[in-house]
Formats: sequence, C-alpha cells, structure tokens
Amino acid sequence: MIKDITIGQYFPGNSVIHKMDSRVKLVLDILYLVILFTAQKFTGLLVGMLFMVICYLLSQIKFIMILKSIKPILPLMVFTAILNLLFLKGETPLFSWWIIEIYPEGIRTSAFMLLRIIALIVGMSLLTYTTSPIMLTDAIERLLSPLKKIRFPVHELSMMMTIALRFIPTLVEETDKIMSAQKARGAELDSGNIFQRAKALIPILIPLFVSAFKRANELATAMECRCYHGGEGRTRLRQLHTAPRDYVAIAVMVALLGAVITLNFIPIIP
Amino acid sequence: MDIIKVENLCFDYVTTDDEGKILEKNTALKNVNLTVPEGQFLAVLGHNGCGKSTLAKHFNAILTPTSGKVIVDGIDTSDEERLFDIRRTVGMVFQNPDNQLVATIVEEDVAFAPENMGIEPKEIRRRVDEALKQVDMYEFREHAPHQLSGGQKQRIAIAGIIAMQPRCIVMDEPTAMLDPKGRREVMKTIKRLNKEQGITVILITHYMEEAAQADRVVVMDDGSVLMDDAPRKIFARADELRAVGLDVPQVTELCGLLAKRGVNISREIIFEDECAKAVSQLPLKSKTAVFEKKQGEKAVNADIIAKLENLTYKYSVGTPFEKTAVDNVELSIAKGEFVGIIGHTGSGKSTLIQHLNGLIKPTSGTVYVDGKNIWGKDVNIRDIRFKVGIVFQYSEHQLFEETVAKDIAYGPRNMGLSEEEITSRVNSAAESMGITHLLEKSPFELSGGQQRRCALAGVLAMDPDVLILDEPAAGLDPKGRDRILGLIKQYHVQSGKTVLLVSHSMEDIVKFATKVLVMNKGSVFCYDETDKVFERSGELVSIGLDVPQITRFSQMIKKFGVDIGDDIYTVDRAAQRLLALI
Repeated sequence: MIKDITIGQYFPGNSVIHKMDSRVKLVLDILYLVILFTAQKFTGLLVGMLFMVICYLLSQIKFIMILKSIKPILPLMVFTAILNLLFLKGETPLFSWWIIEIYPEGIRTSAFMLLRIIALIVGMSLLTYTTSPIMLTDAIERLLSPLKKIRFPVHELSMMMTIALRFIPTLVEETDKIMSAQKARGAELDSGNIFQRAKALIPILIPLFVSAFKRANELATAMECRCYHGGEGRTRLRQLHTAPRDYVAIAVMVALLGAVITLNFIPIIP
Repeated sequence: MDIIKVENLCFDYVTTDDEGKILEKNTALKNVNLTVPEGQFLAVLGHNGCGKSTLAKHFNAILTPTSGKVIVDGIDTSDEERLFDIRRTVGMVFQNPDNQLVATIVEEDVAFAPENMGIEPKEIRRRVDEALKQVDMYEFREHAPHQLSGGQKQRIAIAGIIAMQPRCIVMDEPTAMLDPKGRREVMKTIKRLNKEQGITVILITHYMEEAAQADRVVVMDDGSVLMDDAPRKIFARADELRAVGLDVPQVTELCGLLAKRGVNISREIIFEDECAKAVSQLPLKSKTAVFEKKQGEKAVNADIIAKLENLTYKYSVGTPFEKTAVDNVELSIAKGEFVGIIGHTGSGKSTLIQHLNGLIKPTSGTVYVDGKNIWGKDVNIRDIRFKVGIVFQYSEHQLFEETVAKDIAYGPRNMGLSEEEITSRVNSAAESMGITHLLEKSPFELSGGQQRRCALAGVLAMDPDVLILDEPAAGLDPKGRDRILGLIKQYHVQSGKTVLLVSHSMEDIVKFATKVLVMNKGSVFCYDETDKVFERSGELVSIGLDVPQITRFSQMIKKFGVDIGDDIYTVDRAAQRLLALI
C-alpha cells in the first residue's frame, strides 16, 4: 500500500532528540551534511556514521526504520555505484573485459559514495522521524524570518508546506480510490507503451485535480471561519526554546566537524 | 437575548464578466426573517439547493447580504471592521471533515484559530486541552488527522471551533459523510455543548431523527423559510414536508397512518419510546399480534453467479500493521438476487466486494464468478470486471470526461465494443438512470444527485451480470436518496440482474433486498432472507448496528406487554399488525 511509505514520517516520542529545539536540529542536520561532504577518508565517514547510530539510540527510533528510509533510494545508490565503478579510471586496471575496465580507485570511490549517501539519508531521516512536520516548518519559518525584511513571503511559504504535508495522505488515499473505480470500468493502467500509459492516466488525474481544487476551496472557507488572515499578529501554541541540551548538541557537532577535518590531514589514516 | 437576527435577507449569486457586467444571477435567498435566541438548539431542514447552506454562511460573514441585514450579537455582518469579532462569536463546522483540518497534528489544528486570534501561548494551550476534552478526543492530541475515523476528525473540527470560545456554532451537515457510529458521536458532542456549555447550535441536516432532537426546527424551501416551530409540531405536518422533498421519523409516520385509520393517537410523536408508551395506552383487543410466519421459500435451484470459498484477506502482510480484513468467508450468491450487505466501518464489507471483480486478490481462498475461478490461468481479469460492475462510494468522484455521454461510454469503450453498440448502451444506461436530457452536458455542471446517477450509468453501460453498489445514497438528501434507490430497484426488476447493495443504513437495504448479508469483524455474521435476519434484530443491535427506528419501537413495546413480532422493519408492516390488534 502506498500509505506505508515512511520518508518524512514522524514518530512521536519523548527522547532528548525529540525534545531538542527544531531550529537547532535543522541547522545541525545541515551541519552534519557539511561534515559528510568534508570527510575525505573512510574513517571520517565512519566517525560520522557512528555518531548517527548513537543519535538513533538516543532517539529510541527502531533501527529497522533506517533500512526503511534507505529502501526508496536504493536504485539511485546502485546507479551511482555502477557509474563510479565503470567510469573512474586509475593506473592499473584490476579487471578488464571487453570495454569494461575496473580500477581499485573506482571501487574505493563507489564504496565511499555509497557510504556517504547512506549516511546522508539516515541523517535526514532522523530529523523527520523525530520532528513533527509542523515543528519543521516552524523552524524553517523562524530561521527564514529575517528574509521578511526583503518582503520574502516566509509565513505563506510555511503555511503552504504545512497544508501540503497535511493533504499528502488524503490525496494518496483519494488516488487509490479513483484508480480502483476506473479499473472497475476496465481501465488498463499497467500495460501498453508509454503513450498509452500516459493516456490511461487522464481518467485518474482529472478527477484528482477536480477534487483537489474542491478541497482547496472548502479548506480556504474553513480557514477564514477560523479567523485566518495571514501571518500578521499570529501567535503560536508551541514556543521554541533553546535548552542546555541544544548547546551541548551544538558543541558535539562542532567537535565532530573538527575531528573529521583533522582526520583529513593525518596521512596514515585511511 | 438574540444571538442572531436576520431581517429581510435576500441573496443573489452573481456571475460577472471582466467588465463587471452581470452575466448570470441566481437568487438563493428571498426575504428571510429569523431570530435565534442564545442557548437554543436549532435544526434547519430542506432539500439540496433550498438555500440553507447559503443562509448558514451569512451567520459568520462568509457571505454578506445582497439586501437586508444579519445581526450577530449586536454587530451588523456587513461591518468589515468587526469581521473577526463576528467569526469568533459564530463558529462554523462543515460537511467534509478532511477539508477543514489544516495541521498535521491534532492539537496543532485545534490551536489554529486561537493562534490566528493572537492569543498568548499559555492560554492557547489551556484552550486546546479544554476543547479536546470537551469533544472527548484528548488522548488523540498527538495523532495525525489521517489516522482518525471520520467521526473523530469531525470532532476535532468541532474542537477547533470551540477553542475560539464561540457563543454559537453553525454546523452544515456535519454528519452527512459519517457512518452511524460517527454520527452518534458527533450528535452526542453537539448536544453536550448545547446543554452543558450553553452554546447556541444551528444544525443543518438531512436526518430527520437528528432534527427531532432539537429545540426548534426551521424548514426551508426555495430560498425562504417555510415552517418554523417545535420539532413535534413540524413533523406532524408530514404531507407538507413530503411535498418539499423531506421526510418524517418512522414513528411519526406510523402514528400518522394509525390516526388516518381512525385510531385515537397523537400525530406529534417523534421518539420511539413515547410512541411505545402511547401505543400501549390504546384500548387493544389483544396484546399479541397473530400473523403467519413467512415460511422460508424452498430454495429454488437457482444458479449461483458468484461464490467465495474460504476467502481470507490480510492487509500489509509482514509489517507491524498487518490486519485481517476478511476472515475465512464462505458465500454463494444466486442469480437475480437483490442482496443487501450491512456491517459497520471496518467489518470487511468493502474489502469483500472488491474481491468479486478481482480488484483485490485474496490472501487465501477462491473466488468463483459464473463457475470460473477468477484467478485461474484461463481467465482474463478484465473480463471479470466487465461482468461484475462496482459503483464505489461517492462515485461522482470518478467522472472525468467532457460530456456525460462520453463519460458513460468509457467502460463500454474499454470493452472494445463497436460505436453503434456503445451509443445504444450509453442511451439505455442513461435512460435507466433518468439522465437522458443531460447527455451533452459536462458532468461537472450537474447537481450532486445527477452526478451520482451519471457515475452509476457509467457502470450500467458495461451491462454487468452482477452490479455492486457501495453506499449509493450516501450524502444525498431524502429526495435524492429515494430517487437513486428507486432507480436501482427498477433496474433490478427490469433487467433481472443480480444486485448487491452495501449500506450503513438498514432503512435503505430493507426497502428492496430479498436477502441480507451481515458482516462483523471480517466474518459473515449471518446471511439469510430479510425477514429471518430481522428476527434477530436484538443481536444486530448488540454488534453495534443501527436498526431502523421502527424496529427499535417494536422491541420497546414488548416492555409494555405488546408483541407485534420480531420481523418489523417497515412502517407499513408495523401499522398492519397494530391495526389488527385494535
């Protein structure tokens, strides 16, 4: 079922990671990405990954969720790995057959890239697993709020994100229903060439759009009924507060960055 | 003190072109006068398009009058400066619970209105908790809306309004899209808010039994107020109500029938308990009705059109969400039968019917249609889908073509029929659904009831041997309901095809079904002739099904020592048995 997709799914909890200020979490997650891209050595990457494993332990998110988050990008990973394997040339080929030549450098790079992508996805997933979408949009709204001065529509943007997140499951379910209804009328959705398939989607997409516009219209009225008038003068139920744990997290992350950079400069370490 | 005062209200929906020239003008409200005292529970009745929703939207300045005045708590709604004062005094809840929730977490959604009002975070927290407790949803505060049932979502929508601390709540058919359980939950909540918190409630509804619980009923027709009185006075005027496409509670209908035959009984009875009491006080010749128990018709060797053997279906196998939706079901359906399928949400009835045309493949067990295993090697599953037509719930959502005719032709065209055959099928399907005059229109300009019939015609045009309908009357007004169910019955009689009707509403099912299948927790609870099933009506109630009001009445009068039999599910039968006793 399409409903089972997990990327971007939030698991409520009470761990330290859950309780962290979502702004800090977001910034640190970006910093974590920076660390992954700074790391030039396996050891650096492994240190980063070890750190993530500890974070997962702290957050009490089940490890199986790591695998679930990796699953959807598996094709991309395989693709990158193969590309690196085939096209990275070194000095002496390890293996060659027909036009295919594989070098040790290629193996090293593709393994490195694989690890980096895994670490990246796992890290991003932790953010969405432990932060409710609303907290996340909140964090983005507040981090971007200086941009209001140059008339960037920060509140509107975050409102749109919230509504999109809210309606994804609803529309997925709706698509499921419309597909069943058209299949019951003999629609063939999974056979034929690409043009036939695209044409077969029309009976699904038109009802979906019609319903989405209708929903949008009704939602707008419902929001008006609840005194919505843009971001001006709006207060929030959840206040974001930084606590000592947030400063500890920042310190740890900066230390990690330092460690990874240092590792890059130590020659004997692989 | 009057919370809402409407004076000579007129409203036109006006379509203008770019230069402001009037292209079209539709008058929705004509000279409406109405006052609602604070603390009242007011129900508004009327068929679709009578102007009741337009009126409701005037109560909190979503619409403003073309002429006349609407005064809310002393404020004129056309006073734009006080817009937010008006909106926080009169809150509004709509029909579709999904389209009112903004946030991805329940408590954030409830907080939406107070946040907009600029209230202090601490106070918001207090209001959110209180509102959630009032609708009995506090323990769900951290859930995502899509994890909740329809009734729960609707209660969250109500909590979102209560958090503004309004003095009046307007509800526009809040129960129309809910199952009986959800409907009961929402009605309980509404009544509690009215009685305990003293909040004025204006409830727009199509359910007469809900309107009967109000303090006052207003009936609208053609943009004006037709009747305005206490519920029992309104329902006593049954003939006038029917003339404007409405209905009365079943016991009121019963008393009306008895009174017409000279029985001395009040026509102003609306609840089953008072009806039972009134009947028991009549001078009765005897207290037990004598009637011939209908013998089960000897099973004629009818051909079996569809058969399920040991059917089991599990969702999300191998994940923590694994759930058995259908559990070891055995079922045979004879050709030409009209089967009613009933069961509450999650009883597996929707999953069951999707097995019959191969939309769902069973986890284990076999499905036979016309003697063939539909997942057998020699069977093309698409042929099965043309043989077993399914009309889904809210089937109007499947319409997509430019014209009604083209939309109806979609199924037949997929079958690869000739143009002539397609045209003739489109015409006959349109005729049986009474939409021949609409064939060249766009399906999107039709009314809800017409759209529903158009979608139904789209399945009929495939000329299936078995027609399955999932809640074909859901969300329609009483007139639309009767129309569509009548057409289905007519189709069944004329074509002699097998029809399966899934519904929450026993009233709908018992009108036509010859047999009834009751599903409970994924299993068949019973499958028998309608009379036989209703002889067990006590058990049906105990598994949480809603039996017709007249059935509840027949059980209730037993307490007064009057027995008119267990197989009462129509007003006519109840009247017949009672008249024999008098």
